[in-house]
Amino acid sequence: MLEIRGHARGGQGMVTAFEIMAKILSAFGDFRVQAFPAFGVERTGAPIQAFLRAGRKEILNRSNIYQPNLVVVFDEGLLGQVQVMDGLQPGGAVLINTDRSPADFSEYAFPVYTIPATRISLLHGLGSRSLPIVNAAMIGALARILHLDPQAMQEIIREYAPAKPAENAASAFQAFGMAARSEGGKETLRQLLWASPSSNGTEIPAFAAWEEKAPPEGVPDIPAWFKPLSVNKTGNWRVMTPVYADRTPPCNARCPAGTDVRGFVKLATQHKFQEAYETILAHNPFPGVCGRVCPHFCEQHCNRNALDGSVNIGAIERFLADQTRDNTPAPVPIAFAPRIAVIGAGPAGLTAALRLRQKGYAVKVFEALPQAGGMMRTGIPRFRLPDDVLDQEIQRILDQGVELELNRKVRLSELATSYSAVITAIGSHVGMELGIQGNAEAVKEGIGFLSQFKLKGQTAGVRKGDAVAVVGGGNTAIDVSRTLLRLGAIPTIYYRRTLQEMPAIAQEVEEARTEGVHLELLTAPVGVRETPERKIALTLIRMELGEPDASGRRKPAPIAGSEYVIEVDHLITAIGQRPDAYALSGSEFTIRQGLVGKDGELPVFCAGDMAWGGTVAEAIGSGNKAAEEVHAYFQEMPYSHEEHLPNVVLPKDINLNYYLPVARHASIVRHPKELYGDFTEVNQGLKSGAILSETARCLHCGDCFSCGNCFNYCPDAAIHVDEEGRLRIDYDYCKGCGICVNECPCSAIQVDIAELVR
Amino acid sequence: MNKVSIATEAPPKAKTSLFPRHRELILKGNYAAAEAAKLCRVGFVPAYPITPQTSIVERIAEMTAKGEMGATYINMDSEHSVFAAAMGAAIAGERVFTATAGQGLFYAHEVLHAIAHFRLPVVMCNVGRPSIPWNIWSDQSDSLSQRDTGWIQLYGESSQEVLDSLIQAYMLAERVHIPVMVVLDAFYQSHTSENTWVPDQDLVDEFLPPPAFQTGEATAANQHLAFGGLIPPEHYFKFNYSFWKAIQEVEEEAETVAEAFGKQFGRTYHNVEAINIGPQTKVVLVTMSSIATTARGVVQHHPEVGLLKLRLFRPFPSRAILDAFAQLSPDTRIACIERNFLGDREGGVMQEMRRALYGNPFPMRDFYAGLGGKDVPPSTIEKIIHLAKEGKEDVYWVDFE
Repeated sequence: MLEIRGHARGGQGMVTAFEIMAKILSAFGDFRVQAFPAFGVERTGAPIQAFLRAGRKEILNRSNIYQPNLVVVFDEGLLGQVQVMDGLQPGGAVLINTDRSPADFSEYAFPVYTIPATRISLLHGLGSRSLPIVNAAMIGALARILHLDPQAMQEIIREYAPAKPAENAASAFQAFGMAARSEGGKETLRQLLWASPSSNGTEIPAFAAWEEKAPPEGVPDIPAWFKPLSVNKTGNWRVMTPVYADRTPPCNARCPAGTDVRGFVKLATQHKFQEAYETILAHNPFPGVCGRVCPHFCEQHCNRNALDGSVNIGAIERFLADQTRDNTPAPVPIAFAPRIAVIGAGPAGLTAALRLRQKGYAVKVFEALPQAGGMMRTGIPRFRLPDDVLDQEIQRILDQGVELELNRKVRLSELATSYSAVITAIGSHVGMELGIQGNAEAVKEGIGFLSQFKLKGQTAGVRKGDAVAVVGGGNTAIDVSRTLLRLGAIPTIYYRRTLQEMPAIAQEVEEARTEGVHLELLTAPVGVRETPERKIALTLIRMELGEPDASGRRKPAPIAGSEYVIEVDHLITAIGQRPDAYALSGSEFTIRQGLVGKDGELPVFCAGDMAWGGTVAEAIGSGNKAAEEVHAYFQEMPYSHEEHLPNVVLPKDINLNYYLPVARHASIVRHPKELYGDFTEVNQGLKSGAILSETARCLHCGDCFSCGNCFNYCPDAAIHVDEEGRLRIDYDYCKGCGICVNECPCSAIQVDIAELVR
Repeated sequence: MNKVSIATEAPPKAKTSLFPRHRELILKGNYAAAEAAKLCRVGFVPAYPITPQTSIVERIAEMTAKGEMGATYINMDSEHSVFAAAMGAAIAGERVFTATAGQGLFYAHEVLHAIAHFRLPVVMCNVGRPSIPWNIWSDQSDSLSQRDTGWIQLYGESSQEVLDSLIQAYMLAERVHIPVMVVLDAFYQSHTSENTWVPDQDLVDEFLPPPAFQTGEATAANQHLAFGGLIPPEHYFKFNYSFWKAIQEVEEEAETVAEAFGKQFGRTYHNVEAINIGPQTKVVLVTMSSIATTARGVVQHHPEVGLLKLRLFRPFPSRAILDAFAQLSPDTRIACIERNFLGDREGGVMQEMRRALYGNPFPMRDFYAGLGGKDVPPSTIEKIIHLAKEGKEDVYWVDFE
């Protein structure tokens, strides 16, 4: 008869493994088997034992196994805590779950088998983050040691595994192939297993003469523990270790400018408005602008969307920018010799210039237009972004030492002598043309219309009462239409897909419709001509949505024979923009983010809309990166364009049940009865009271906010509050059960694998 | 480091079938009990979980949920309610099963009397554990302290015996109208997976006809009857007399059922099992349940030691014991092994053995061993044999080391 004793921790699956092993042996031949556990306290992580007897004779012993032939150790950490080798018989062996090699166990007098069962089990997704279930891999190694058939083994595992049958069978099979054995030493496990039924079984060890012992003294009447419970340190039960982690929230991960959104919202919650504002400024010099015009990727991916709507981050950002403005630091001294020229005073150019100036470079920005701000100035109407907000944020940049020259359309060739590097950030200011038949001269272009109106007050001939067709579905189309409304015209937007596919910011579309902009959806222009009455006859065709295209949006297709004609006074297109590459003319650069090449000796970098993106936030992010790359270039430091994918907290990681539903505070929107001539700001943001209750809606994804759930749920009272009010885990008592990891509302506790691999 | 060699033993071969119309499974005692409840076509299972019994009712819940077992399963609020529900269903004519352990059995104590004295053929499993000091491990104090409730008690030694005894228990209970408690040891039996031959359903059906009353059918439940009214002194004794008559039939009825079972299934059981008991015997070990297995192994090495395994404990099988001891020499030591403490000098086995052997000359020794799950390995049995032969005391606590 073969006697096997196993040592494991509650939860690792040893009892089940021994039961299944008994089933495998029974299926394999005429074996009598007996598998049973010796439970200690019934808790996850506590050291336990299990026993397996197998042989070809009836088993006439129901006691525990004290003199095993094979010792199986499921958790290497038990080697120092439990006398696993006690009573191991000559001819026996030991099997250990470890990443180490058998040679590392040369201190044992017995043959040692090793198997990296934890690694194999994690690979097959078995068990939880706090406790990998290693039993299938251990079965695989046992089957290998006993020379059992791996196919039969897998069949039995598939039949009896309590969960994940395929993964458990695969794990066992992989372990079957990975068991390793130490050099030398003899074991007789197989002989014991296969010994014929007629041969003698295990001899009963000789009974030593018994002397009568006195009964124990001093046993109390009631079982009681007279020492404080703190003496019973249970930390050594731990297989894996929970730690407070700082994981990236989706708002931070999704902000193209790189803003620490969760950070500034948290500071705002604590009324630390100045610190919150400076937290934004660390990545974004335009919080007043972004708080108003950004599509807020942070809000789009806010995990609170799954509960009751995202946090109104835009309103918080805008509030902070409007509250706190007069703390501009003085220019830093110039520390580096290279002089940097920046072409274009838009968000990308100004951000790059500010960052380099803050690092100690002399920077000058050249702007072709009479006013700085780029698309923020020319493309965004005043009713969305008042001039003073933009002026003050630009002034804040200039106050920190950035030089600016307006009305200066420079070319690279002019800069080579005075500058060491150039960042071109000229934006994307040329509207694309409508590729349709007919008289194209009557067609006006949207981005130019906005720019001409903002800079010069020109209305391109639009008069009160004119009917205007606007073609397109982006922010430009919306801004053009809303500007037209304020000029007294009657705009209609023609868009070839539906509302759902519209690239414009949903809130802006909603406001436009409320103001009276009419939308004609699923229609596209095919021809245009001027009528004898000096009107524009626009031929359109009805569209329908087909399969999704590369952007994931359903592709529109014309419905044959559905053409129709409308008559309007003006036609304005807003179907996309491209850069005016004057600055780079004569050079053969491929335009992309960062260093694009050299013009003679002059390194040329690109940033902003001309390289990628199309929103202010993306341009700011682009400017930050360009500045880093320029700095790295001159300091000869490595620079990589590779994005580091952070460990982002996803909706599935949040325990929404722990948050009370609180409706989102929507920003206050002004809707005057008469829009004509009214260019005051439509969106009024939120007042301070609403701001504070809105900041309190943050879920704190991946950041401990001291809710105390872990403290409440820890079954071993191993979590306490330190002197600074932070929750801390006492690893002397933490048994690694993982309850805190599961019950943390915001995924701020993670399991540390490092201790597992030890 | 060496890779372990790849050679494997021959692939699985066809297994010898010990018993026709059976499947060999590796079952722990608790699963064998659940399997038996299914095979007996039990129609109603009220239950409340308690370690170490839980996996019995858990398995039954799983089988009923999957439709593998056509019973109504109700998770009650306590063991007192469990047995009250069992009583009601049994009065209505349903075949009832439940299981409990330790504190659960103590809590049901009052209703146990009622079920027995209403003469209801309820069958239950008790997985033995003690009460206080708090302990969940193997011990027979719980079931032995219920010996006076009127229930028949059978103690099993293996998964096989638990399964087989439960099938016999229904036949016995329904013949004599007295409930049966089948007892197994915690962990050493309840959680030990071992070879078990499970009979085919039709083999069981031939032996134990499905109950006349099936869930959902209308019988007693539709008739308006009252049970359990007040019984005045002039009638009360009549019910007890009737019970007294019936309980005396049980020893023989149990043998009859066991014999019929042997014919149908090929496995033979008796109220007691006598091993190596004859004129040469110097010591007889008297034991129950899992300790009996280990004792079997030890006595193989001791031709002078016999083993008496008690399978029927209530009513106590005095006649069978006297028959087994007929050949013993008068100085044979009778060594009772107790996995119980009932608050008196001698344990439950010794108390009953003294009663059965009243008037016989055998010197008797009592050995407290294995209380509260303490392991009883072969060396402890050896110690008991040694003390039975050499010792001067009549009661020993052998676990003091």
